[in-house]
Amino acid sequence: MMANAITYQKFCKLVKTEVKAMTKTFKTLTFKHPLLFKLVKQLLIVLAVIAVYAWALQGLQVDLKLLKDSWPYIVDFITRLWPPDLSILDIAIVRLIETIQMSIWGTTIGAILSLPLAVVSARNLAPRWLQFCANFLQNVVRSIPSIVLGLLFVAATGLGAPAGTLALGIYTIGYLAKFYQEAIESVDPRSIESLQVCGASWLQIAQYGILPQVLPLGLGYTLYMFEYNIRAASVLGVVGAGGIGFELVNYIKGFEYNKATTMMLVLLVVVTAIDALSSKLRQRLEASYRFTHKNK
Amino acid sequence: MTIECEKITTPYSNNLNRPILNNISCKIEQGEFVSLLGLNGAGKSTLLRSIVGLVPLEKGVIKVNGIAQNQKQKHRPDIAMLFQGGGLIRQLSAIENVLCGRLGSLSAWQTLWGFPKRDRRLALELLDRLGLKEHAYQKTAYLSGGQQQRVAIARALIQNPRILLADEPITGLDILAAKQVMETLAELHAQQGMTIVVVLHDLALAAAYAQRAIVLEAGRIIYDGKCHNLPEILQAG
Repeated sequence: MMANAITYQKFCKLVKTEVKAMTKTFKTLTFKHPLLFKLVKQLLIVLAVIAVYAWALQGLQVDLKLLKDSWPYIVDFITRLWPPDLSILDIAIVRLIETIQMSIWGTTIGAILSLPLAVVSARNLAPRWLQFCANFLQNVVRSIPSIVLGLLFVAATGLGAPAGTLALGIYTIGYLAKFYQEAIESVDPRSIESLQVCGASWLQIAQYGILPQVLPLGLGYTLYMFEYNIRAASVLGVVGAGGIGFELVNYIKGFEYNKATTMMLVLLVVVTAIDALSSKLRQRLEASYRFTHKNK
Repeated sequence: MTIECEKITTPYSNNLNRPILNNISCKIEQGEFVSLLGLNGAGKSTLLRSIVGLVPLEKGVIKVNGIAQNQKQKHRPDIAMLFQGGGLIRQLSAIENVLCGRLGSLSAWQTLWGFPKRDRRLALELLDRLGLKEHAYQKTAYLSGGQQQRVAIARALIQNPRILLADEPITGLDILAAKQVMETLAELHAQQGMTIVVVLHDLALAAAYAQRAIVLEAGRIIYDGKCHNLPEILQAG
């Protein structure tokens, strides 16, 4: 026991001496040779980045030979997708409308539930204990994959669009609550103080002080989420939660690749159109947000 | 209506290595026009903010009309404040910003769907008085700095205050707009007998409009008296 204590003391002393020597070298480098210090620092950063990528690649266990051999199979799969079978265009459109409907309601449910959660998560509004609880809840929601949520609601409400819509709603909370929270935290503090001095209540400050300032940015985020949810709704179809993805998976499982291509093309057209439309709208909202926030 | 600050000290500031306000005592009588002067970091704005309860006190007490104020309460019914830059909600229209001054007198339910007609009429009257009637329904972000500050004055006036505190109301304004804002404050003081306490950086403006100057340095009052010959007094000090 005694011997162990002595060894431990020796070890501590050794560590202290080493740390002292390293600090001295570091100080000499920093102050006496600033250029050399900068070079060493940059080199160390590059080495650290390379090490992280090498570590990640080693974890993937990529077999280059297998990758090379699989190329013909990929080409074969792609060849079988062409040409698209347009006879199912009507089904594709019906399913696509269902996907858009799922996204509209899913995003709306998520946005409505996100707003109070964002308010109680915001640094400038809620007490610290409430912030912690609300942020933890956000993290919990964010860490559940959409497909798991899809399975959960399929088990609860059965196969079809209602399950997908509810899954999208909950999935949306994880992201929109965070976006809204950040928008609330960037509100001009002086404008809020001015309302406090006027005697406004907490609810009045939220309605007249925070909401108008957060609205343009919040709407932009919601539009982005709507666009994202159309793609997410397609994935949810894989677990039977309705939408275009449900049909898509069924065609692939039944080796009807040409029909699957039609589904994907229809989805591509709609996603591109919605992306263009919402980008335009977001640009206008962001421009109005930037204008009202400049020269503050 | 008087404001009395009795040995007020704010919490220690790590940036300044001292409390922002350090044992300050002063008394402002009803109907005075007082200018607060001093270098940046002297504690001028903090003094105003502590009077309305926005800054907690470590020591001392603030009395309004002889009644000690609870620093946790941020609303003092007879006191209104103008913030640097106006402190307006830039996404709301001028009239909506003015109406926000009525929030303390109405419940959240009463304002959930807007403001009563009587209040809207009053807000319009105030904007008209300040020469902003044609901008009443314009977003405040689209108004000039001087117009924004006048909207802030209208918001303060709708509260019907007896004391108006103004934190650097003319900072960032051009000479004409600054003069307009100062004239409005002087008018309120002369016609309504309103107590005005204004933070300024310009000694000439202080001498032109205020009757009394309080000069702060490093959180303490170094001069409290008449505004005449301020440069000489400060140089001698």
